[in-house]
Amino acid sequence: MITTVIGSYPKVAKDTYSTKLIGTIARWQRGEATGEQMESVARDITNAVIAEQEAAGIELVTDGQIRWEDLVTPFAGKLDGIEINGLTRWFNNNVYYRRPVVRGEPTRRGPVLVEALRFAKSCTERPVKAVLPGPYTFATVSEDRHFRSPRRFVRRMAELLNEEAQALAAAGAAMVQFDEPAIGFGKTDMKLAAEGLAIAAQGVKAKTAVATYFGSLNGLFDALMRTPVDVVGIDVVSDPTSLRSLSRARITKELGIGCVDGRNTKLETVTQLHAVFNALRRRVPLDRVYVSPNCGLEFLPHPQALAKLRRLGEAAASYRATRSANR
Amino acid sequence: MLLTTSVGSLPKPDYLLEARAKVRRGEMTAEELRGLEERATRDWVRIQEELGIDIVVDGEQYRGDMVAYFAEHLGGFAQSELVRSYGNRYYRKPIITGKITRSRPVTVEWWTFAQGLTAKPVKGMLTGPYTIMDWSFNEAYPTRRAACLAIARVIRDEARDLERAGAQYIQVDEPAISTRPEEMDLAIEALGIVTRGLKAHTITHICYGDFHAIGRKLDRLPVDQIDLEFANRDFELLEFFRRRRFAKAVGLGVVDVHTHRIEDADQVAQNLRKALTVFRPERVYVDPDCGLKTRSVEEAIGKLRTVVEATRRVRASLSAGGRRGRKVAAGAT
Repeated sequence: MITTVIGSYPKVAKDTYSTKLIGTIARWQRGEATGEQMESVARDITNAVIAEQEAAGIELVTDGQIRWEDLVTPFAGKLDGIEINGLTRWFNNNVYYRRPVVRGEPTRRGPVLVEALRFAKSCTERPVKAVLPGPYTFATVSEDRHFRSPRRFVRRMAELLNEEAQALAAAGAAMVQFDEPAIGFGKTDMKLAAEGLAIAAQGVKAKTAVATYFGSLNGLFDALMRTPVDVVGIDVVSDPTSLRSLSRARITKELGIGCVDGRNTKLETVTQLHAVFNALRRRVPLDRVYVSPNCGLEFLPHPQALAKLRRLGEAAASYRATRSANR
Repeated sequence: MLLTTSVGSLPKPDYLLEARAKVRRGEMTAEELRGLEERATRDWVRIQEELGIDIVVDGEQYRGDMVAYFAEHLGGFAQSELVRSYGNRYYRKPIITGKITRSRPVTVEWWTFAQGLTAKPVKGMLTGPYTIMDWSFNEAYPTRRAACLAIARVIRDEARDLERAGAQYIQVDEPAISTRPEEMDLAIEALGIVTRGLKAHTITHICYGDFHAIGRKLDRLPVDQIDLEFANRDFELLEFFRRRRFAKAVGLGVVDVHTHRIEDADQVAQNLRKALTVFRPERVYVDPDCGLKTRSVEEAIGKLRTVVEATRRVRASLSAGGRRGRKVAAGAT
């Protein structure tokens, strides 16, 4: 059982690192701070965020996505053919993202997130996971004025994401994760989503994962098991029945289990988490399981996000200790 | 007919923004701030009267966030550290930590103050239970439903107190209502607890989101009037209503609150006439799309002036032409 996070982490923390990023970005937007000043603040925070994950007992870390406005803008904003438009609600959250609008053939001029990965790797000895939006989710939350065909849009995005995923793997990402909250949220064209993932994950020389959250994989799990990614991630908080339905599923891959609520401040108990681990153990060898919060931690204020990470680390450690003692 | 109003919030003048920052830094007392909030409220009531707005609001000069304001004044809530909503914008999302209670009225004193400044009706402004629940963390209630209904009961008490104080219009904002279509029935049930037995004209304002997912249930919202954004969707929503019977009054947002540009009154009048091919004029209230608090004071005044001026033009053509006028209006589209 490996502890990990989905991706995002609070960008500001009054109690540990700082709220400096808010003012620095505001000054940068007004032209009163340079890009380097802003990057330097963001790098300091990234460093602190990775250190917090390490100290909390997270084994597979991310850079916390400190410079990300939302899941799609960092990648979409660097492509030709796509412009970033108005604010739209991010699934069923009181959080907003800027909607990409495809106006021409999207093309990737070069690596987008590779530098950030290199920096994150320089902050830690632990393996670092790189995160990308999944092609199906990217298409779902965007407006297509170019392809006029969901399938062509998803396939093209999958090709571009695949190029990026290969570059991230080459730069040393231990895992490349495609975030697909649109899978299982409302009506899902699972065939198309699977087609996109197959293209996106092809030839990537690192472990690949798909993370689903906010919705329910009820009825879609088997199809995800047939996609060529190594890890299938499910959110057992948003849909608590999904843990039970695993018993009927054919589990042929490693699993990511999102079992700490990243959208509510109420802190899980160690007992609750152990109950999840026990339920899992009956269905799949625990050495094939990643445990994490159900989604990025940025929906929480920093003190609660950190408390939840520590609780996850603590629950995993004590669970392993009892298991090996009983052996 | 075609009464003009605004959705609720109006921008805070610079002196008030500075004062609020000073209070946060401990450089100004709450009483000094209160004086400035009263001054700003007085100004906004006078401005609305001068513009010719029919149903006045107090402008919420004393409120920060529409959910946090209630959370701060009700029992059972704690304040959180910052959470990001988008871009570089952060807010403090309330945390429900215990039983939700209301030890005294939250908005009645400000409503009474504003109503004392004008002979026009002042609208009572509340945030709805579903939105307060959805925009808070919940550590105390076993389910979202339990939290929502508990909030509904204290907002009901507040609505009754507003009515007792003399409010003829009470608006209960539910911008979160379209977030989870599967919870629409819960939102309706909670709003029903708030509005049941009120004699005041009740309104709910809805914005952002998947309108088509909830549209079919709009008729079931237990209020007299539903206020919606029309301008920032280029009046596409009209087509939704054209095909169905709609028993409620409608609040018609005719100017966009997200743009700096002040709309042209002729253009707005034309859109309003188009709307009157779908809604009967006596069932229509005219206002901006949403609260104006994110605009500058000058932009807000400009947009309200456009609302009033466009409405005047349409009223004039309606009363001049009688039935003929309505035909002309339809023909203009």
